Amino acid sequence: MSDAFYGTFDRHNEGKGLKGHTTHYCAGCGHGLAHKYLAEAIDELGIQDQTVTVNPVGCAAFLHFYLDTGHSSTAHGRAAATAVGHKVANPDAMVVCYQGDGDLAAIGLAETIATAQLGLPITVLFINNAIYGMTGGQMAPTTLMGQITTTSPDGRDRLTGGPIRMAELIAQLDGPVYVERVALFSPAERKKAKRAIKKALLMQKERRGYAFVEVLAECPTHFKTTPEKAMEWVKEQMVPIYPLGVKKDANFEPWFEMPKPTFDPATFLKAVGASSEKPAGFCKGFPTHIHATDISLKLAGSGGDGAQTVAMLIAKAAINEGFDGTHIPAYGPESRGGTSYADVHVALEEVHNPASPNPDIFVAFNAPSLAKFGHTVRPGGTIIYDSAVAKDVKPVDPTVRVVGVPFTDIAAGLGKMVVKNIVALGALQAATEIFPQETLLATLRDTLKEKAALIPLNEKAFAMGAEAAREAMKK
Amino acid sequence: MSQANTRPKPFLLPDYCKGCGRCVHVCVQGCISFTQEINPLTGMVPVTLDLAKCTGCGLCIEACPEPYGLKAMEAGESFELQDPATLFGARRSTAPEPVDIPGRVIPMPSSEPLVIKGTYAAALGALMAGCRHVFGYPITPSTEGAELMAKLLPKMDGFYLQAVSEVATVYHMYGCGGAGLPSLTFTSSPGLSLMLEGISYMIAAELPGVFIDIMRGGPGLGNIGPDQGDVKLACRGLGHGNTHAITLMPSTPQEMLDLTYLAFELSFKYRNPVMVMADGYLGQMTGKVKLPDHMVEPGLPAWGVYGDLNHRGNLNSSVFLDEATMETRNLKLFDKYEQMKSEARAECFQAEDAEILLVACNTPSRASKGAAQKLREQGARVGLFRPITIWPFPIEQLLPLLPRLKQIVVVEASKNQIEDELRLALSHAGITDPPPITHVQRYGGILPKENEVVAHVQNLLGRA
Ligand code: SF4
Ligand code: SF4
Ligand code: SF4
Repeated sequence: MSDAFYGTFDRHNEGKGLKGHTTHYCAGCGHGLAHKYLAEAIDELGIQDQTVTVNPVGCAAFLHFYLDTGHSSTAHGRAAATAVGHKVANPDAMVVCYQGDGDLAAIGLAETIATAQLGLPITVLFINNAIYGMTGGQMAPTTLMGQITTTSPDGRDRLTGGPIRMAELIAQLDGPVYVERVALFSPAERKKAKRAIKKALLMQKERRGYAFVEVLAECPTHFKTTPEKAMEWVKEQMVPIYPLGVKKDANFEPWFEMPKPTFDPATFLKAVGASSEKPAGFCKGFPTHIHATDISLKLAGSGGDGAQTVAMLIAKAAINEGFDGTHIPAYGPESRGGTSYADVHVALEEVHNPASPNPDIFVAFNAPSLAKFGHTVRPGGTIIYDSAVAKDVKPVDPTVRVVGVPFTDIAAGLGKMVVKNIVALGALQAATEIFPQETLLATLRDTLKEKAALIPLNEKAFAMGAEAAREAMKK
Repeated sequence: MSQANTRPKPFLLPDYCKGCGRCVHVCVQGCISFTQEINPLTGMVPVTLDLAKCTGCGLCIEACPEPYGLKAMEAGESFELQDPATLFGARRSTAPEPVDIPGRVIPMPSSEPLVIKGTYAAALGALMAGCRHVFGYPITPSTEGAELMAKLLPKMDGFYLQAVSEVATVYHMYGCGGAGLPSLTFTSSPGLSLMLEGISYMIAAELPGVFIDIMRGGPGLGNIGPDQGDVKLACRGLGHGNTHAITLMPSTPQEMLDLTYLAFELSFKYRNPVMVMADGYLGQMTGKVKLPDHMVEPGLPAWGVYGDLNHRGNLNSSVFLDEATMETRNLKLFDKYEQMKSEARAECFQAEDAEILLVACNTPSRASKGAAQKLREQGARVGLFRPITIWPFPIEQLLPLLPRLKQIVVVEASKNQIEDELRLALSHAGITDPPPITHVQRYGGILPKENEVVAHVQNLLGRA
């Protein structure tokens, strides 16, 4: 008797009476033997303390009655996914998935395959008895052709599909290191079964990978026969469909290793790019000439115009100056190809509503954007638009200032269309004086610090945009 | 292994034999035979052993499926010894009583505010709360959070795993949370629907985990516009059974960080999942985010199934076949839900003297704030009540405002989902005559706008 079994099965009817030392399985059920070989292998490998079994839904749902290891009882079909969670939480844990055919090969098929292919060292024991035992003998994915079950009363036929060979399926994946199908009907097969289960655990212990043992097991109750006949049935009916033997035995070197998580503040701050240096401020005060406490902007163009980048720069600049700033991009399909627009707020204390239905400042990169949002600008606001692409601007509220700057032409002149948005930023600065030039330039330089070579070009674009805006306003 | 001549012979307590006969067929010596006699204790028909010819080959022992069935009789043991306690030892288990390994709070050097989007802020909140395991399945508009985690976690020796589905995701969390460690996922509405089964299991097994749901337009595949149509799932529909989880409703990128951080604390405090629900706008919204002044290195709770000696005796489970036991389990959960009510939080904005109270969460609360301010400028006494926890609903914080109120206006991007929480909370608090409740709602991936709220209130005032 293996030490990996509890001394008394307290969880089985509180261990009272006979249940304290017997299983809940039917006489001759294959589960008992699989449990026993698992327990013995755990003993022999000395891994009892590390072992976590992931218990299925099915007749073996009560594995935790018997094995003196950690237990995680999970939902039908989800053992593999649960096992992965345990393994990555503690890479030293020996995680055993114990699953029946409905669990592993029907409802949990996606998790089964994905986990096998992931290949983390996990040991899977797949108990294939060609039937749903716990729910009362319904057809399983592994039910044989012609086999009568409560949901294939005339025998499984072509219309209900054929038996699925999991060991072969798993073996053809790259992830697993070892796959074998075994049976329990004779001393020789039982010996192989025990050996396979131990080897599957060893593959995990040695960090070589995922191992899968399919056990052809007897369910005398739903085969509606004696334990003896059930063994014969497995041998004569199941084995021809489910050939026994090793399906994969790869020579993986031990590879599995996961570092211990770090909780070092410096590492974290560096990773997230946080800095303890206060950015330089250039503002004398909040730009109250635009709005007393909360300035709203909208920037709109087509996908590649860089409206979002400029929006972000303005929000960042605001925060660098000690104000509040927000930026909401229009995202998703509407940002693909079509119009891309951004709402920005700059507030003295707190941005209340980050949307800009009636912006103080509107930057339009093309004619459709101008047409779409031009009329939403609040009286007394400012529109800055690309006069190289938007001609014949429709009149808006006479109190709204409209400044046309040829963003595209200027950028083309600089030989880099991508700086069109920085031209626009320069124009916006000159037209509105929302912030001093230096505020925006410092933020721009900071954003480009990893691509320092681009800074001079961007500064030039900014300056030319500003200059063009001043020119335009003189007219 | 024993020598051939001293190989142990089998021994069997008939009470532990189910008479399956697996042993009978393997004994070539014919030592084991079926009987006809029913064991009165078990109702089974055990086999009988006659070991005169037994060679001690052991095949029968290997064939017996019962852990305490046929066993090798070691030297010194005797047939007569029938007391299982003596025979098998009185131990249930040699596993020790598990103990808590406490976590650590690590002070952080102060840093300048970051300018980041909501999903990023939530990710940083999780990292600072000690989360190093993130699982997820990509779904817009929540993907940026997962992408940032995939980038940052390796730098902190953590692990991001892209699951095969949302269904698998929640069970990765079941496993990782079950081991006693913090874990997180980012998802969006259709993904949350898929996770509900697992959330029910996590609640039942009392496992922690934080779910960030960036709500989008539905039902069905819907669209990726901002929405609040998952509120009823979080408050009333976390899978089957009597489930609840604290549900936090941030309204700024800063709160995305702060409330995610808080979510981990609450998740472990109550051993229950915690939901952080944001609309798609908030997920994408960039704003000022200040980092907390400390971060957490999590410990290892006593109850975790970690896979070590300390935790060997543990079990995470939601299966309690005995109805009375399952009812007790339910009562235990209800007790916890009651305690969670102390976590209810709300923000009041210009609410003290308000006659018209807007009630809103997430981004609609910001549109409402804007509206409240505009309406104040027009002389109307309008305030905002913003539940930060939508479950438990912060009714205690609302009650003192009620006497002054002439109207309540619920602003939400769903069909009555927030309003129903308010109405239920009022009803449970015994408020039979609340002020009239009207609403401003948009659906299908559209948020209510500030001017719609303003117009609605102006309309109410005109009528009044
Ligand atoms: S129903 Fe079948 S699988 Fe289930 S315990 Fe009985 S024999 Fe075993
Ligand atoms: S040990 Fe061998 S010989 Fe003895 S009873 Fe068992 S099977 Fe028969
Ligand atoms: S194998 Fe075990 S349970 Fe089955 S008849 Fe023999 S002793 Fe009894």
